[in-house]
Amino acid sequence: MADVKAAPYEMPVTGVHIWYYFICKREVWLIVHQIAADQDDENVDLGRFFNDQTYQRDKKELSFGHIKIDRVREERGELVIGEVKKSSRFKESARYQLLYYLDTLRQMGITARGELLFPKERRKEIVEWTPEAKTKLDKAIADIRKIARFPVPPPPKKIPFCQKCAYREYCWAEEG
Amino acid sequence: MKKTLYIFNNGELRRKDNSLYFETDGQRKFIPVEDTNDIFIFGEVDVTKRFLEFASQKEICVHYFNHYGYYMGTFYPREHLNAGHVVLKQAEHYLDKEKRLTLARLFVKGSIGQMRRVVKYYTSRVKSGQEQLTECIDRLDHHLDILPQQKSVEELMAVEGHAREAYYSTFDYIIGDADFRFEKRSQRPPLNRLNALISFGNSLCYTMALSEIYKTYLDPRIGYLHATNFRRFSLNLDLAEIFKPIFVDRLIFYLLNKKMLTKEEFDRQTGGILLSESGKRTFVAEMDKRLKTTISHRHLGRSVSYRRLMRLELYKIQKHILGEKEYEPYQALW
Repeated sequence: MADVKAAPYEMPVTGVHIWYYFICKREVWLIVHQIAADQDDENVDLGRFFNDQTYQRDKKELSFGHIKIDRVREERGELVIGEVKKSSRFKESARYQLLYYLDTLRQMGITARGELLFPKERRKEIVEWTPEAKTKLDKAIADIRKIARFPVPPPPKKIPFCQKCAYREYCWAEEG
Repeated sequence: MKKTLYIFNNGELRRKDNSLYFETDGQRKFIPVEDTNDIFIFGEVDVTKRFLEFASQKEICVHYFNHYGYYMGTFYPREHLNAGHVVLKQAEHYLDKEKRLTLARLFVKGSIGQMRRVVKYYTSRVKSGQEQLTECIDRLDHHLDILPQQKSVEELMAVEGHAREAYYSTFDYIIGDADFRFEKRSQRPPLNRLNALISFGNSLCYTMALSEIYKTYLDPRIGYLHATNFRRFSLNLDLAEIFKPIFVDRLIFYLLNKKMLTKEEFDRQTGGILLSESGKRTFVAEMDKRLKTTISHRHLGRSVSYRRLMRLELYKIQKHILGEKEYEPYQALW
């Protein structure tokens, strides 16, 4: 048998990791360690509902590799991928999540355009791949792998996101 | 927050399409499945496999109590939250003697702290026995002081036992009703009315703790103060230690002082005294009401129900075993 040498392990990074990286590094650690947020949380329910109910006409959810795209369609011969969010409040995060998908497609030789979709606000926004964005994205990916190796999660920090985060009770359980 | 369903009647639990119903005397009562957290069964209730499958899928724990109100067991659905990292850490804290001792000590500390809180609350309210209550607080403080010197779980259990004895000695002053004398703690079967109430309330508390553990990554079989023996759940017993004084004992004082339960609500059974069915109904209804009351939580910046405090406590325990933050047991301010 041929001598097979295993490639050094590289943790797969997902779109969700990218999304949280730009919001809360602690959440990245928890998700990597498969410690999910409180599933009874109303916003988690709402997210599920949105996912089920919006953009029914378009082809939904395309999975390949470690990424999962909410919506895929073709417009005048061009591939358009969409990421659905509840609100535009954390647009920066959403943008890099989508850029990650665009970049992954690019590496496969597929050119695509990205759209951020905010059904509740009846709004969408175009996202395009640029070399500058790619530099920032690569740094984020390397950083996510670093965070994943921390023995304990980064300590909680009170940020606006905490207010509606399904981890808030976990992070802030102490009486202080 | 999702609700707990308590069933006292006899009947059948069935699944109908994507819904559940309870049928009793030909009447069907539908159960909102998405809004049900857990089910406590006190009556003679038949279930079907289809019902259990659905309960498992919807992540609903089903707890059984026998005719006498004793806890019988739980249909604990398949684990839905799995994180290898957490289970390994939980086991590590059990296997490492020092780590286990640290957690066991914290549970005893929390438990005695809560007893102290209850006695303190009643010191200025009792008609007689202020001195005895004050003395009890001193003794509880002494027990808290000697905790760091205890070098084994057995020693910690002994301290907890002595503290509880001192604590129970105040009950006659707090209740002040000749129909409900404490005498001494008796279980299986309880030998007087007050003991019957304590036993019943405690088993509800253990069971609720189990339901809450199911909602976390922790394994209920690995406890620290109460030994793991792979036959029964034990982490819920540890957790309940902290909540028994405020969830159960204070409820008992309330029910008796308000005369919501009288001696007529108790039946003499073979060798023991047990709460009647209507007594159990009253107890359960009031407990449920109490667990739904909310208090404001400073750190979270919003209010949480009493019951939710149990979940928060589990989160703190999980953070302790993950090495993130040392566990500090809950201290009621009321």
